[in-house]
Amino acid sequence: MVHQMSFGKRVVKTTCKSCHGGCRVIVAVENGKITHIEGDPESLTDGTMCAKGLASILEVYNPNRILYPIKRVGERGEGKWKRISWEEALDLVAQKIKEAIENYGPSSVAIGQGTGRGYNRYTFRFARSVGTPNLFLPAHFCYGPRLATFGITVGGRLYCDYHGWGGEYPKTIIHWGKQLEITNADGEMAVWFLKALEKAEYFILVDPRATRLAARALWLPVRPGTDAALALGMMNVIINEGLFDVDFVENWTYGFERLKERVQEYPPDKVAEITWVPEEKILEAARVFATHKPGCIQIGECLEAGNNSTQTLRAIICLMAITGNIERPGSMINWVPPDTGPMEDFALEVPAPKELPIGADKFRLLARPPFAMCHVETMLEGIRSGKGPVKVMHIQGSNPLVCYANSKAVLEALLKLEFLSVADLYMSPTAEYADVVLPVAHWLETDDIYDMHPRFFVSAIQKVVEPPGEAWPDNKIYNELGKRLAPQWWFNNVEEMLNYQLRKAGITWEQFKSIGVLAKTGKDQVYYKYKTDYWKKGGGFDTPTRKVELYSTIMEELGYDPLPYFKEPNESPYTTPELYKEYPLILSTGGRLPYYFHSQYRQNPWLRELQPYPIVQIHPETAKKLGIKDGDWVWIETPRGRIKQKAMLFAGMDPRIVVAQASWYYPEKPGPDHGVWDSNANILTSNELPFDPAMGSTTFRALLCKVYPVKDGE
Amino acid sequence: MIFVDHERCIGCYACIVACKMEHDLAPYPTSPPTAEPKGPRLIRVFQVGPEIKDGKVYQYFVAISCMHCTDPQCMSACPVKAISKRVDGIMQVDRDRCIGCKFCLWACPYGAPQFDLDGKMMLCDLCFHRLQEGKKTACETHCPARCIYVGAPDEISKIMGQRAASRIEKPRESSLVA
Repeated sequence: MVHQMSFGKRVVKTTCKSCHGGCRVIVAVENGKITHIEGDPESLTDGTMCAKGLASILEVYNPNRILYPIKRVGERGEGKWKRISWEEALDLVAQKIKEAIENYGPSSVAIGQGTGRGYNRYTFRFARSVGTPNLFLPAHFCYGPRLATFGITVGGRLYCDYHGWGGEYPKTIIHWGKQLEITNADGEMAVWFLKALEKAEYFILVDPRATRLAARALWLPVRPGTDAALALGMMNVIINEGLFDVDFVENWTYGFERLKERVQEYPPDKVAEITWVPEEKILEAARVFATHKPGCIQIGECLEAGNNSTQTLRAIICLMAITGNIERPGSMINWVPPDTGPMEDFALEVPAPKELPIGADKFRLLARPPFAMCHVETMLEGIRSGKGPVKVMHIQGSNPLVCYANSKAVLEALLKLEFLSVADLYMSPTAEYADVVLPVAHWLETDDIYDMHPRFFVSAIQKVVEPPGEAWPDNKIYNELGKRLAPQWWFNNVEEMLNYQLRKAGITWEQFKSIGVLAKTGKDQVYYKYKTDYWKKGGGFDTPTRKVELYSTIMEELGYDPLPYFKEPNESPYTTPELYKEYPLILSTGGRLPYYFHSQYRQNPWLRELQPYPIVQIHPETAKKLGIKDGDWVWIETPRGRIKQKAMLFAGMDPRIVVAQASWYYPEKPGPDHGVWDSNANILTSNELPFDPAMGSTTFRALLCKVYPVKDGE
Repeated sequence: MIFVDHERCIGCYACIVACKMEHDLAPYPTSPPTAEPKGPRLIRVFQVGPEIKDGKVYQYFVAISCMHCTDPQCMSACPVKAISKRVDGIMQVDRDRCIGCKFCLWACPYGAPQFDLDGKMMLCDLCFHRLQEGKKTACETHCPARCIYVGAPDEISKIMGQRAASRIEKPRESSLVA
């Protein structure tokens, strides 16, 4: 909606995509310039906004924005560029993709994207339309395991019901490796959770650190990488003490007796030893969750970034199931989508390519339709060795040099590509090594339908101002590239494409702009859908057995353990005691922050001011032993390399753990590297340590390291 | 007055940036970007803890801005009478008179005085331009934790009293009696 307020002044309602969230906002424009941004009080998020959204104005007017398509004229990384037209740029990218497909086959093309910003469906559609199975996403260690394990266990994604639309709010909320209050990631919003928290009776926080809400929680200080044991231990207590939901288990789950047998291997005293969580807390948490219902569990990405991601999530979903916390109001819900239907259909309607993605033979759950994705580390190794299929890569909004394990190895792979094109707002360290860089428009400069995760709403992102230079929105770039390569799947223009996506709701893009949000809330949401024909005629869940599969028939079919289990992290005091002697601290990389999102926003001064340098949290006792004071620069070292971060003394965790921040580079430092080798946690991580066998997840959150002060001059 | 509920604050810093945006404050984007950009913060967020005592975690966050004191120490300390109080109680600074001596910062018990790029003092103005239109302050509007209240002391007193009253029945700490 656009209101004409007075001459030169306009107000536009749109949707923020500074993170995954999708808060509705009102933007004021005066004489063509954005003067103000504010939360829309009528929005689903009550007119609130976060630091990142509020700082968006500075993204539009940031002089470091890429303005024009550019083509490399020097060596890769030399920083010598020539401005080219969009026509030339798109023709070149399309030509390289086409040639690669003709010369080497469709699998020689990798299409990459980073964290979702609501254009995931375009990325998937583009890859499918071009015919390549090799989608280059961080999904195998971020959200992908949730997608897969919810899918095979329950038939669809489950979200926490913080809304009370079914007449009940959660009595017990568990946040498991999650800081939703500051991240708003993966389909849930801090505002909803914080409101529900006021109404909850119990809040359980499972996290190695006492994060922001720890003082209000029953805090389980779990050892990084041992969450599966904790979940299995909780189930041991719940099942053995007869606290499980008998009705739901008997009528709606499959494999209970076998799960019961499995959890006998995880008595609470053994689990306490493994997880470092005191036994009485395990007992309390288990009993509370089982008896104070409804309950919900918010799962965080850190559970997916390890060598046992699949079984960890499987265990937690089983915990939801045996307590009957699925589809009842206030528990875990699969949302009924808005009238548009799931926006992912826009991707799925293009048939999947015949060839399987790289890594499909090993990581069979990752390769399972409908969201089959390639195993990135295997793909990159194939590029480095020359033995893999990928020769050409297009990246739309991702910074692999910063965000994937072992940055050195990532760079080696990128340099070996025959062609690399990158679309971004800024010259990230990855963009600096590209052959062609395409300038992307900010959400304040974009028209699109915002759908970050299939949940109960979609909302209109309405362009507020023209992008600087010749920057184009992601959807336009995809459409124009798509038209050159697979015109039968793409559209004359973006508006046509948007109209097409809205057709099931019976509205056009113009109409949607005025409507703003299409949501199914309140009485439009349906609970206990498994008792209706919603998924299966005659009732049931969308699984092979029509039940919630505690014993997963699909895992069995794929050749994996159908029941969850615990496995020690690759590097730990127990699995690698020799390594532990030299690297005596447990390292987690990637604790989240409210003012950054992965590698984004280091060049936004309102946000950078809040924390200009990366921080590593060290327990005061540990720091004292190492001669480290609060604020000292320290080296963090693993067998892969070392980085510098600033020490923050933090008493809220076990002294044997340190938590470094992830995704740091310094845009103010000269290109091409922009300080990516200084403080980036992926100098420390490994692309070779064993991956999760089903999803191929990489280990970011449970490694071993040593820490020591930075000496003068270093 | 502005009240920030430390039991609800989650240390997300949205209030700081909301205020920056509302008042168009420094720092501004530069090319290349600045490593340590700095500007005035009319509201500031502080973390206390965590400290673990007897297995309990003590940690909270709170945001503090100018308290718009009834008897402002900054006003007494200012040598050039640049600081005054509006009829509605909101503090204000005459930046033409301000000599940037920073003595007000010595005097303020809350560290509220901020200094812009020109060295002159800036204070939280309680977004009176918004209050006049019946809107809430920028910080209160955007806080996802709903922990900022701007209102008269008796209103705040009522809110806190209500909360305390509801706690008599429901203990804060979770402790299961099996």
